[in-house]
Amino acid sequence: MPDSALPRPEIQFATIAQQGDTAELGIWAFLINETIFFGALIFTYFLYRNFYPHEFAVAAKDTVLWCGTLNFLILITSSLTMVLSINAAAQGERKAMILWLVITCALGFAFLLVKGYEYYLDFLHKSVPIVAYEIKPGEGNAGILFWAFYWVATGLHAIHLMAGIGLVLYMLLWRIRRGLITPAYYAPLEVVGIYWSFVDVVWLFLFPCIYLVGRS
Amino acid sequence: MRIEVDPRRAKALPFAVGWAAVIVLGGVSLGTAFLGIGVWAPIIQFGMSFIQTVIVYVLFMRLKGPPSLKWIFAASGFFWLLFLYGITMTDYSNRRGWPPPSAAAPPVLETPSARAP
Amino acid sequence: MSVTTVERASADEPPETEPSYLTAENTISSWLLTRDHKRIALLFFASITFFFFVGGMAATLMRLNLATPEGLLQPSVYNRMFTMHGIIMVWFFLIPSIPTTFGNFFIPLMIGARDLAFPRVNLGSWYVFNLSGLVVLYSLVMGGADTGWTFYTPLSTSFANGYVFAAAMAVFINGFSSIMTSLNFVVTIHRLRAPGMTWMRLPLFVWGIYSVSVVMLTATPVLTMDTFLLAVERFVGTGLFDPAHGGDVLLWQHMFWFYSHPAVYIMILPAMGVISEIIPCYARRPIFGYAGMVIALMAIAILSFFVWAHHMFVAGISIYSAVFFSLMTFFVAVPSAIKVFNWTVSLHKGSISFDAPMLYALGFVLLFTVGGVTGLMLATLPVDVDVHGTYFVIAHFHYIMVGATVSAYFAALHYWWPKITGRYYPEGWARFSAILTYVGFNFTFFPQFILGYLGMARRSYTYPADWQSWNLLSSAGASILAVAYALPLLYLGWSLIWGRKAGPNPWRATGLEWAIASPPPEHNFERTPTVTLEPYSYDPEHGSFVTQEGRSHAR
Repeated sequence: MPDSALPRPEIQFATIAQQGDTAELGIWAFLINETIFFGALIFTYFLYRNFYPHEFAVAAKDTVLWCGTLNFLILITSSLTMVLSINAAAQGERKAMILWLVITCALGFAFLLVKGYEYYLDFLHKSVPIVAYEIKPGEGNAGILFWAFYWVATGLHAIHLMAGIGLVLYMLLWRIRRGLITPAYYAPLEVVGIYWSFVDVVWLFLFPCIYLVGRS
Repeated sequence: MRIEVDPRRAKALPFAVGWAAVIVLGGVSLGTAFLGIGVWAPIIQFGMSFIQTVIVYVLFMRLKGPPSLKWIFAASGFFWLLFLYGITMTDYSNRRGWPPPSAAAPPVLETPSARAP
Repeated sequence: MSVTTVERASADEPPETEPSYLTAENTISSWLLTRDHKRIALLFFASITFFFFVGGMAATLMRLNLATPEGLLQPSVYNRMFTMHGIIMVWFFLIPSIPTTFGNFFIPLMIGARDLAFPRVNLGSWYVFNLSGLVVLYSLVMGGADTGWTFYTPLSTSFANGYVFAAAMAVFINGFSSIMTSLNFVVTIHRLRAPGMTWMRLPLFVWGIYSVSVVMLTATPVLTMDTFLLAVERFVGTGLFDPAHGGDVLLWQHMFWFYSHPAVYIMILPAMGVISEIIPCYARRPIFGYAGMVIALMAIAILSFFVWAHHMFVAGISIYSAVFFSLMTFFVAVPSAIKVFNWTVSLHKGSISFDAPMLYALGFVLLFTVGGVTGLMLATLPVDVDVHGTYFVIAHFHYIMVGATVSAYFAALHYWWPKITGRYYPEGWARFSAILTYVGFNFTFFPQFILGYLGMARRSYTYPADWQSWNLLSSAGASILAVAYALPLLYLGWSLIWGRKAGPNPWRATGLEWAIASPPPEHNFERTPTVTLEPYSYDPEHGSFVTQEGRSHAR
């Protein structure tokens, strides 16, 4: 059983437990905002896909399915490793906590690498509106709307993932190094974990939006 | 001072099971894309996405535990989206002139005379 | 009123154990890196006052231009003036106004907490706000945007020649500031209430801030996405609003108004909260129908999400959709009307003092009623077809945003001035300013109802010569209004140095914020208060009151 002293809460909190619970509530409040942010974008996708199904199906054929699927596997695995890191923090296993966190970070980078390569392939397929775009036969004028959505959605998702990686690095290099994450108080790590898993959830919706259209 | 470990954080197995479940559901989703079942494919796919989200939220993001207010926060984002989706569709579903026919038109090719030698 | 209570109140004054939040530490970094919600409130106060004057200068130029049909400004310059006036007043003054100043200062005090839940997020919100302010100033200085504050596509994406990208990015960044502030308030009110402070014992100002924070948190992300898509389309050359590719230009409007209609309720809900604090205190009786007021606030917050396309009745949406939105707009007026009835009835058998806060509050109720009723006129489809895009709409929303919200802002400023600064303001000058505001405001904006009905189009640098007299009257009224807004700056500034010192509870009010010293100590409460009573326990017959902690005070 781990054995550590309780850290002092900030002045507005009565106990450190209240501080941790409040931090958790805070990140969930922030996720309301993020859900609606991505939800609004996905709404525009559903709107246009509903009215231009054929054009979207043709345009989406050029998406790189193996990249999307690989990234799906990478992200859900990173959610798992993140949770394992928090479990280790709760049990006071500092080395395991750091190891799982480093793996999570590495998986995040792996996602970005795969995404970067996929962007390169998209460029070769001429799927970049205005910059390098070719209207494929059958996609009409509206096919470009699919690709406009693709670049905005995956770009914003990647930015959120980079923010997540930044937070993980901040945990590793700042809070954990200074011994601020202990079994008595590991709420900051939980907050980062919740954000990280949310970025994963966004991909769970983007994946069918982008990669599963027009395959049959 | 002794700290009690949160019992839900003591074992890795439930999380591994959740991870596997999300992957299996993803596989189902992927599979439906190739079956040629028309409009049912996106319905099943996004249904899978929602189930996967519930698994990740409840298990990985620890929605089960206190404070119980988290449930309401987690649900309200999606709930508010219903307003956006549902009410906006009252316009798009029956607006005259929507969708515009030009969207499906083939692109106008540049005529050779535009580039005089 | 309230002159003799300083001595009486000082008997209850808690012993001085801490220096006040103003004098605790006085280096620049102790202000710029503060975590104290009260100092952050003052930082925000400085920022929004600055932007109020920038937006006001644009308005001054507009009204000078409109005093004669020949005008003063080039048409393209006029277009940039009304655009920047709208953008700056909406996002850089009205939306932050009451929440970031009085909300930040008083929410912890009113609920018995020592700070907000996330003090660093609070400070971050101020820095993000200023960053967005720098971007909008850049846009303004470089020549501004000319699309109107609503950035309608395809003008904004494909045709406008101005700094649209910068202006849109300023709004995009500003949204994050809103989100950070509102998130803080929601979590704080849920988690940091003192023992005994149940939801139905919260002062109505707290409910006003809570309801506004729910709206901010859920509406702002849609605007964030919309402005991002606008910026992408303007920058790249095509996007989701591009009609050449089957995109819908009205999609911009749908998503914009999905936020911007709740945004106008963001601007009024905290104001309503302020008025609900002031009327009981200056009528010396409890608010009528506390539960109804709470339900009305939350109902307005939720219903505000169902009405947005009443801004789009003539844009080309489906007629059936328009009927739905018109119906919903009628519904949303009901809780607002309930509040007006309750404020009015709250005066009945009260012992009313016409001090400046009360004068502003009464002005609020009257001006809000006019604005609200004309809103119902606009909700009526046939009327809107006629007056959409005219000065009738401008008059309607200025009655609410300026007549109501800015009056409430000044009411709050005067009411809480002694608590924030420890000084009384000069009552005579304040009453004069309140009355002058009311007079100037009506002379400025009532003629605009008439002009709109006659058919004068908005967003136009000129107009037919027949309408000059109304326009001249409006511009003359604006000059009076300008004086009325400038005066408080002068006498409040004066009071900081020469004003009479105030005790903890100069107005003999019942809230927890009046139980501590004026100005408050850095960490608010030495020990967390215990709440036993609902708010506004004033007794008009005996002139006594009971604080929320249960301490009675006789006449």
